[in-house]
Amino acid sequence: MKNWTPELLSPAGSLEKLKVAVLYGADAVYLGGQKFGLRQASDNFTAQELREGVEFAHERGSHVYVVLNSFLHDKDLEELPEFLTLLSELKVDAVIVSDLGVITEIQKHSNLVIHLSTQASCLNVESAKLWKKMGVTRIVLGREVTIKEAKKIKEETGLEIEMFVHGSMCMAFSGNCVISNYTQGRDSNRGGCAHSCRFEYSIDMQNEEEAKKAYFMSSKDLEGIRMLTEFIEAGIDSLKVEGRNKSHYYAATVSKVYSEALAHYKEHGNFLSDDLIRWEEELRKISHRDYTTGSLDEYADESSIYNQRESDDNEYVVTGVILEVKENEHILLEVRSAFVPGDALEIMPFSGKTLSHVASSIKTISNIAVPKSKPGSVVKVPYIAGAERFNIIRRKLAEAHV
Amino acid sequence: MKFVTYAENTTQLKELAILVETKKIDANVLEVIVGTAAISRYSENTVAGLEEMIALNQKFKLPLVLEWDVLQQESLFQKNAELVSRLPLHEFKAIRIQDPGALNLVKEKFPWLKVQLILENGNHNYTGLSRWSDFLGEQLDRLVLSNELSREHLSNYAKELKTELEVLVFGRILLFYSPRLLLSPLKKEAVQKDILDKNVEAYGTSEESPHAGFPLIENRHGTFMFNVKDLYLLDHLDELRSLNIGAVRFDLRFDDSFGHLENCIDLFEGRIKHEDVLEIKTEHPRPMIKGFYNINKTDVLFTKLKNKRIQRQDNNYVGEIVDVERDQQMALLIKSKHLTLKSGDELQLITPEGKTKTLGLKIFSDTSGAGLSHATTNEVVLLPFMSGVVAKTQVYLVNKDMQ
Repeated sequence: MKNWTPELLSPAGSLEKLKVAVLYGADAVYLGGQKFGLRQASDNFTAQELREGVEFAHERGSHVYVVLNSFLHDKDLEELPEFLTLLSELKVDAVIVSDLGVITEIQKHSNLVIHLSTQASCLNVESAKLWKKMGVTRIVLGREVTIKEAKKIKEETGLEIEMFVHGSMCMAFSGNCVISNYTQGRDSNRGGCAHSCRFEYSIDMQNEEEAKKAYFMSSKDLEGIRMLTEFIEAGIDSLKVEGRNKSHYYAATVSKVYSEALAHYKEHGNFLSDDLIRWEEELRKISHRDYTTGSLDEYADESSIYNQRESDDNEYVVTGVILEVKENEHILLEVRSAFVPGDALEIMPFSGKTLSHVASSIKTISNIAVPKSKPGSVVKVPYIAGAERFNIIRRKLAEAHV
Repeated sequence: MKFVTYAENTTQLKELAILVETKKIDANVLEVIVGTAAISRYSENTVAGLEEMIALNQKFKLPLVLEWDVLQQESLFQKNAELVSRLPLHEFKAIRIQDPGALNLVKEKFPWLKVQLILENGNHNYTGLSRWSDFLGEQLDRLVLSNELSREHLSNYAKELKTELEVLVFGRILLFYSPRLLLSPLKKEAVQKDILDKNVEAYGTSEESPHAGFPLIENRHGTFMFNVKDLYLLDHLDELRSLNIGAVRFDLRFDDSFGHLENCIDLFEGRIKHEDVLEIKTEHPRPMIKGFYNINKTDVLFTKLKNKRIQRQDNNYVGEIVDVERDQQMALLIKSKHLTLKSGDELQLITPEGKTKTLGLKIFSDTSGAGLSHATTNEVVLLPFMSGVVAKTQVYLVNKDMQ
């Protein structure tokens, strides 16, 4: 008997990342167009890419949700109807919205299904009831809500409930931080967040004590792999992964780990798998701050503060993404970090354990052997059975040759 | 236009009452926001203290507005809802709310209680403001607008919305509101026990920011950070009145600003000129600004955040150059699902720097060197080398019909 599991919703910061997320197991992806979202620095999707992305996802049974979760100003709203027409035509599965004006415009110009963004900071049953009256069918709850509270919200409203399961977290109530607006001239609620919460601050306690330096506003990253049973038992409909600005590798790893874990539950009704340790190890191989369960179990406390400088110290580094596989001939690899012949590489298949491989040679496309690959170039490596287009290849940092 | 301010305790309430008694301000023009620590963001007042103010006001008859402006997860919300239901709500002119849950509760359980809806986080469009207004109907007393709205927008909304509007004209600008306690972990253990009962105040400065001295408050509701410059629109009171803004708020809760109360009222009532109270600004502990009152251009930098030239633009898009080997070839990844690349096609190439090149396609091959007559999506094909073309160059099919 198959057991019920929630939808796994992965970020798609670009068309390629959408494909990676879907191929690595995401049941749904969320993405942004060139406007109206909260990741202005992300590649995002042009109309053509959106069309292709929706087709790609739908052909594989995955849903596509489009973020329109900026707090839009009047002039921004003027441009919205045209985009809504496109989204309707493409049959996207829902839009994610935080502003009541945007909700109203969507209802006026389309029949699109509306999910309430976490930016609206919906935190309690009564709030969910209000948004239901406004026409939303799903609530992406604020990250401050526990799973237990989320269960109650679902039971008392009948709404679909989505919760974050993994990724970076705002320290502020989402939508309630405008530091960038006043200090950088960039509207954080229209996609211009400058991440001032990650800065080190000197805190002057007003003569009471010496000033202390601290990353006091920086949050650890959310990791909910050990809370999946609670999510399932609470009937949470969708588990969201943060990270549209993050890498292909991140999209691949998180989608793969959580989809494999959920697939295991679907089959066995539990997470008593030898793979649990492997899944957790995989989540430690991607770029991340220290992990916390945030407020999933109890409200986040002092231990959820990431009081240290941001760094890119990772155990693993992405070698590249496979662009083409010519069976029994070669693999074409878009290089993300340098490697040399003889390096031990790990290929991440779309499901199952990684494949180990030692690249015996590296050649340019015109078959000239090179002693070392260059980041940003495309190289040929010998054919590896089992490798597929869009597979990510990585290696341990000790093996890196940056 | 109404004069809105806060009273934290009976002493401040008495001072306000005296100003009414001495005809400094009409009781119908004045509005006093009161709260208690459990439901108000910065108040240190106890429930007993609030009840004492309500009792005292039986004599003064000042219009009191209850502030319930905290955001609350379900467990906290239930406790606060229970507390609010125990308060003598009939003693208040209205209740001020930001959390949509509190709004829904008040609408359902206390439909007779007027609501001042705080829309300070976002809500920067007429459509949304109008919908909130319609949703509350007769129960709505006022919309409290965002500090990020410019004069032009305030003017438009005041003309088009039937609802009374309120803006902040003096006080701290809240930048950040977190439910997590962020200051107490930095304090010595001995003083941590006090944090639930009173506000912990501090100042934050980062070398990574050009601004220094962000005021910080931590209390039971979490941590609040304010701008290093406070809002000051006292020289625009007449203008706001002429724009038909219904209420202006003087937030005198911090930095001993309550001492400016009488001057603010005199200025508001036109008994003195702005030039007469310049010390309010010059003696303020922090610089004061107009914020976004004149103009809000916080979206203009977005165009610089990414290179538009490397985005695919139209239906003739073929794909992207992913690798270039000088004097050898260029590798084109065909991304379009709908176009087939054929010998004889004319291609336009747009580099990340914006240079445009054209290429008449005579021969091309696959990555093994085998010649091709056509290629489709996801294939990597090799084109003849062209000087100046680099990776991430976008490739388009020239539409011959357009020529």
